Amino acid sequence: MLITSLVMSLNQLLPVAILLVLLQVVRKQSALKIGSALLIGALMSFLYMQSASWVSQWFEHQGLEYSQIGLCITIFIAVLVFAIKQKSAAFYIAVISTITLYLSHYIIYLTSFWQSNDAGQSLFIGTLLGVGICLSFSVLLYFLMNAIKHRFGMYPLFTLLAFNSTAKLLVALDLASQIDLITNTATVWDLRDVLSENSELGRVLRALVGYEATPDLMSVLIYSTSSVIFLSLCYVISASISKERV
Amino acid sequence: MTKRLFNRCLCCLLFLSFNAASKEYLIVLKDHLFYPSQITIPANKKVKLLIENQDSTPEEFDSFDLNREKVLYPNRKSIIYIGPLSKGYYEFFGEFSPNTARGVVIVGDEEAKHANN
Repeated sequence: MLITSLVMSLNQLLPVAILLVLLQVVRKQSALKIGSALLIGALMSFLYMQSASWVSQWFEHQGLEYSQIGLCITIFIAVLVFAIKQKSAAFYIAVISTITLYLSHYIIYLTSFWQSNDAGQSLFIGTLLGVGICLSFSVLLYFLMNAIKHRFGMYPLFTLLAFNSTAKLLVALDLASQIDLITNTATVWDLRDVLSENSELGRVLRALVGYEATPDLMSVLIYSTSSVIFLSLCYVISASISKERV
Repeated sequence: MTKRLFNRCLCCLLFLSFNAASKEYLIVLKDHLFYPSQITIPANKKVKLLIENQDSTPEEFDSFDLNREKVLYPNRKSIIYIGPLSKGYYEFFGEFSPNTARGVVIVGDEEAKHANN
């Protein structure tokens, strides 16, 4: 139970922590804004979790997938808008949607097993360790990305942000094929023997850039096209804003 | 002549659409175990997994190999489509009880297997 809690907390908290760090490096937000976004996000995920059992029965047992696809697309658009315009509203929408998407799973896990025999202590310690690892990783990533930003400018940061937010579209794509909205295409490569998604590095890369060991053709196309569109929009609009200022 | 050709095409399309209906497999989750824990499905065909959680706690169906993830609520049925897949072994597990709730989807020549049995 301790290991499961640790793995679960890492799986669900790391994507939130990474996105928060990347947005913070793009443009530093006040502690009040971060705190309120986290609080509203936690509240939203609790409400989502409360209604999830009911929503799951919509559209022939496919209601949850539709709502999660909506959240994934919202995250991508909000991150793109934040990267270009750096508006607070986009920051709020991106963080709250990400917390709602990921944290609700962990709340379901916590509330379900809290009552079980001897599970409380393991859940608490596992969660505490997971939060600790996430915080350590976030601090390291924050300083690393800040150093890269000062040395090489915004473009490496935009590239990582593009991969990170495009990964949410891959999640949406997997959810769409899970409910037969689209058909899976042929697997492009199989790297399960080289780097499994289940491994420590695989999990970190999955949270960071959406690594998949067995992606299908559609996923590869969507990932590359959306990343290129994201980066092009960042470059073109950022350049035009700089010209206007001059 | 054109009308006859059109009718034949329509018949073919209808036949294909009936054939395209995905085959359904029932998996039951009970006492944090999947029954059956091993299912064999045909290669290059999409199939529908109907998963019934008979436990009193939720579970999350998770598979890195299949790129699938879905919360299974207690005493509810959930549907997951998988495939078309190439031949091989694709593991799945319950993320809340990964030590017990484990299973594998074997993609192979299902008809041949049944013929051998």
